Amino acid sequence: MKLYTIALVALLPCLAATPDVDKGKTLGLPTAPIRMEIFGDFTCLHCRLLHEETLPLLMKEFVVTGKLYIIDRAFPLTGPPHQYSREAFGYAVAAARIGKYQEVADALYAHQQTWAQAGNVWDCVTAVLKNPADQKKVKDLSKDPGVLAEIEAEYQEGVQAGVNVTPTMIVTAGGKRYPLPPAPNYELLRSMLNGFLPK
Amino acid sequence: MDFYQNRALRAILLAIRIVLGAVFVYGGYVKLQAPWALFGMAIDSYHLVPLRYIEPLARTIPWFEVALGLLLIFGWLLRISATTVSLTLAIFFAAMLHAFLNHQEINCGCFGPGEPISKWTLLRDGSMLAGSLFLTWMALRSPRRMA
Repeated sequence: MKLYTIALVALLPCLAATPDVDKGKTLGLPTAPIRMEIFGDFTCLHCRLLHEETLPLLMKEFVVTGKLYIIDRAFPLTGPPHQYSREAFGYAVAAARIGKYQEVADALYAHQQTWAQAGNVWDCVTAVLKNPADQKKVKDLSKDPGVLAEIEAEYQEGVQAGVNVTPTMIVTAGGKRYPLPPAPNYELLRSMLNGFLPK
Repeated sequence: MDFYQNRALRAILLAIRIVLGAVFVYGGYVKLQAPWALFGMAIDSYHLVPLRYIEPLARTIPWFEVALGLLLIFGWLLRISATTVSLTLAIFFAAMLHAFLNHQEINCGCFGPGEPISKWTLLRDGSMLAGSLFLTWMALRSPRRMA
């Protein structure tokens, strides 16, 4: 996660996200030639693999170099294995409002198997948000209608975009949108992204 | 009875040729409009082809589909083109069926991204395969050019 921190510190002054984007949930420059929206769920195994294995590679090769702008989108799943998904998104989006989204997202994915079964989502969040003031803000914000509306709006946006499985990445480049198959091979993903860049 | 003197049958065979040909041309065209790696990811998601073959396949299959589609539409080399279309559809159908039976939540990749494999896609491709096999059978048993 050191890579994230370096990248975020380097890029924070440049973050001027477009209006439809919660800038707390983005990585990179909004002016990057390629934009990638990731519709994911904190309870989904493949989303965790994407977050922990593919995302660091994308960060190093494309985000830090200003080629790629990544936006995390909420796509809470429903049903028995995902019953705490919305609660987790509530805390994550609330954390984004105080600039702590990446830390909370990292923790939620890292301890996915624990809280997704036991339901102690808040314990996972407080383990990474040490400051009591931050904890109170996130706790309060997680029930804020604006936060809940943002989660629902992103979910609906995903449904409208044809998202039917998580994680779904939608790449926009040259004015065209390309939904990618779930969990793509990194070599193929890299080839595709490089193909969008000027030679 | 000589089937080729039957106007209704000739019309059916022509319709199959045109529909299958148009579907192949459209499928190839859609893939050619997107980066090859996108179709490569769709092929890779089936987990049936080693990674080193993905790029050559992803780059050539769309052109192959367009060429086969045009051959069918214009009725050129019909025995060869119909047989090749049947073999191609049989491979596609088998791959989709394998993914469906193994509960792989993947996209078909038939006409670009965003189409999950379902009973509907299997029915559609199965119907195309049936039509193609019928066309092939008729083409192979005929000494003459059909329709």
